[in-house]
Amino acid sequence: MRAGGNPALLEREPRFEDITCSLASVPKLPRAVIKETRDVIAIARAFNDRVVKPRALELDRRKREEPDYLPWDFVEEANRAGFYSMFIPKLFGGHGINMPALSYLLEELSSGCSAMSNLVGVHYLGIATLCGSFNLKLMNRLMRDVAEGERTGKPCLISLAITEPGAGTDVEEMDLISRAKVTCHAKKVAGGYRVNGTKIFISNGHLSTWHMVIGYSDLERPEVNTVLMAVKTGDEGFSFGRQEHKMGQKGCPASELIFEDCFVPEENVAIDDEQAKNFKRPIKETNMQLIDYVLSVSRAGVGAFGTGVARGAYEEALSFASETEVGGTLLINQEWAQCMLSEMYKNVALARLSYIESNYANGLHGMFKLLQWKPVFYLQKYMPAKMVDALLAPFCEMKIATTLFRKFYFDMQKTNESQCTSGWASLSKFAATDAGVKNCQMAVEMMGQAGLRHDCRAEKHLRDSKLLQIYEGTNQLNRINLFKNLIGRSVPGARAFEEGEGTS
Amino acid sequence: MSAKADPELSMLCEMAHQFANGELTDTCQDNDRFPIAPLFGGVLEKAREVGFFDLTVPEELEGGGMDMVALCLALQTLCRYDASIGGVVFTDALAKEVLVASADPAALTGVLSREGDALESLIAFPSYRDPSEGTSLTAIAVDGGSHRLSGDIESVVLAGVASTAVLPAVIEGRDGYSFFTVSLNGGGVTTGSPVQGLGLRACPAADLSLNGAQAAIVGKAGEGARYFDAAAARMGAAAAAMALGIMKGSFEEALEYARQRRQGGREIINWSEVRRILADMAIKTRVAEMLVFEAGYSVEEKEEGWEQSSRAASLAVGQMACELTDDGIQVLGGNGYMEDYGQEKRFRDARQVQSLLGLVPRRKLEYVRRVVEGESEY
Repeated sequence: MRAGGNPALLEREPRFEDITCSLASVPKLPRAVIKETRDVIAIARAFNDRVVKPRALELDRRKREEPDYLPWDFVEEANRAGFYSMFIPKLFGGHGINMPALSYLLEELSSGCSAMSNLVGVHYLGIATLCGSFNLKLMNRLMRDVAEGERTGKPCLISLAITEPGAGTDVEEMDLISRAKVTCHAKKVAGGYRVNGTKIFISNGHLSTWHMVIGYSDLERPEVNTVLMAVKTGDEGFSFGRQEHKMGQKGCPASELIFEDCFVPEENVAIDDEQAKNFKRPIKETNMQLIDYVLSVSRAGVGAFGTGVARGAYEEALSFASETEVGGTLLINQEWAQCMLSEMYKNVALARLSYIESNYANGLHGMFKLLQWKPVFYLQKYMPAKMVDALLAPFCEMKIATTLFRKFYFDMQKTNESQCTSGWASLSKFAATDAGVKNCQMAVEMMGQAGLRHDCRAEKHLRDSKLLQIYEGTNQLNRINLFKNLIGRSVPGARAFEEGEGTS
Repeated sequence: MSAKADPELSMLCEMAHQFANGELTDTCQDNDRFPIAPLFGGVLEKAREVGFFDLTVPEELEGGGMDMVALCLALQTLCRYDASIGGVVFTDALAKEVLVASADPAALTGVLSREGDALESLIAFPSYRDPSEGTSLTAIAVDGGSHRLSGDIESVVLAGVASTAVLPAVIEGRDGYSFFTVSLNGGGVTTGSPVQGLGLRACPAADLSLNGAQAAIVGKAGEGARYFDAAAARMGAAAAAMALGIMKGSFEEALEYARQRRQGGREIINWSEVRRILADMAIKTRVAEMLVFEAGYSVEEKEEGWEQSSRAASLAVGQMACELTDDGIQVLGGNGYMEDYGQEKRFRDARQVQSLLGLVPRRKLEYVRRVVEGESEY
């Protein structure tokens, strides 16, 4: 047992801290997290039975027939269910349910329809991006808009607009973007920025009220001139282009956003190089840190989508096998089918564990850190909303609040902490989404002719699942990000995203 | 022997390329919108004029009189552009192979009528199912040697467009199943709406509900499984050829895109991970090509174990096509997922083609059963 006292041994890869996120987290977690999560899963399952499963095929079919159709009816149902403000902290007008429970919600919804799950989950990608700036004043204003949208029955969603026609993978990695051809120009003008450019593949674009837009004040050096802004639907100079015609996840629009001399006032600028100039790290590292904060949360969410679609495919295959005779014997009683079902069950379970571990990492070192600190958790859980609004919310309007939060999150976060959250998020993203696609393929294969039919659902799961390996960084990018954060750091001479021309 | 070395096959290949270039390249995305968009009947009519249907039907029956290698070549070329037309050719050919296997000349000549347009002259068949998995149609013998069929059957390919179907049914009181030819325009047949499927969307399928529909038995009663096995053994190579065509199309589009698309300041083809994926795709395509034509020649020459060669080729190449088209999307990233490009369609089509001839795991079990029971070498 003496070896345990030797820190050097625990610094060896895999490092102790990186492989024990759950172990370190559980004792620190407020017990109420368990009850909240139970409630969320129960709510999600009821919603699945009532809304998702009965409508999933119809929405998919309708979008194929009417590509410009927008699923407002579903969004309104989700809004009434409280999904769009359920995980927003009470401080900002939301219900304040613990953020990791969002992943369970997304898994449940995705098991019925990952497009519908996306209609909820992508909103939180927008929220996470807004929160990644730790601009408390703007966070308070926009998230209270969301809460107000729930109260009035007029959904207020937030999207993230980052992908450009010529830059998809590049925009998620500072080492790549420095060599990329980005075109969304945010020109500094008196009182704000003037934005020109186009964003594509923006999930929920047409459905969202607010859009967290990433532009660049110098297109030649985007890595040190990144501007994160909030643009509202209806703003002058901002319009929607076409909706993409996707193979799957048809129910969730992927939109083109067009900016033509769109003026963004200073109060809607979440963060730019001017605001970040006094941070401890150089601006390029700060921009990467911000992206890592956001993606470490959102990629765990995509892991939950992958887990959900893996489960949906498994459940369809299980149901089919339980009801179908092949060669005179129920499929469920044929050993090969039992083994395939077990393999699928395993894929679901491991995918789930990956996003859970990723969320634990976020609780220890990432965006959830403060919210899961017991005093803060219980304060916001049990303090009446009116009291929060009266006593705490005004604090958000003070400049010092943003300064303190940024000090805590940007300057006090250690490099190995962001490596842990970013590495685990990438691992979960590609492991769970690969599992999702794999299970869908297995379900289609096991169901044969029925697996190919739209009315039997497995083929829809397969089409839906494939997108998960692409967005939030392709699974190839995420593998390299895992290498960068959890492998390459300990290998002398190892560099990610800097491959020499000669190697290919 | 290489297909390229045979002048007749070279000519067929060239003809298929020209046909596909002229008729499919610009329209395959629109055609894929069936049933929202109309069926590409005009293209099928031209395909019949060119001779892609009845390619392997004997010349004395007014067919093309060509061999399985020719069918494989035609299918892989067409599927490189649009696998749906391959599905139509395949299904029609599979139905006719069942009739040929029955050695029932009346059955074959009866359906090879040259009357009507291309669509009507096609034969519908449940191509995605081995009837041994189970069939819910029942047949009752009536006076005059004909039968009446009743029951429901799902996903009959080309039902709704063809005028005749070859369907499996169990004759009451007999073991095994039999095949029957059924007029789909006759009484007692209700054809459902086109089935919305994963892939091969312009190769339509529909559910049929039969209520005492008049039918003529194919060959001998209770011998359906033997006919299907014989037909499926030959057509395995053809299914593999379809998968190969899809693979070629996917690889070519991925390669072209990788040369154009830039990431991190250079074309993505110059990143080694993209090259590794492309290498996997290229190797699979080359291996699949060897398998398909080896199987095709094996079928045609009736080499020892040709049935297993054909079956193995369809299973192996079908799987390779699914893997390769998955990578084909991935190389294109978000664009690969969009209908504006061809990769997502190939991803769907590959999975659909893999399911031709029945449930894949069961086909594998049947493959090894033949080995275990000494019917064939592995």
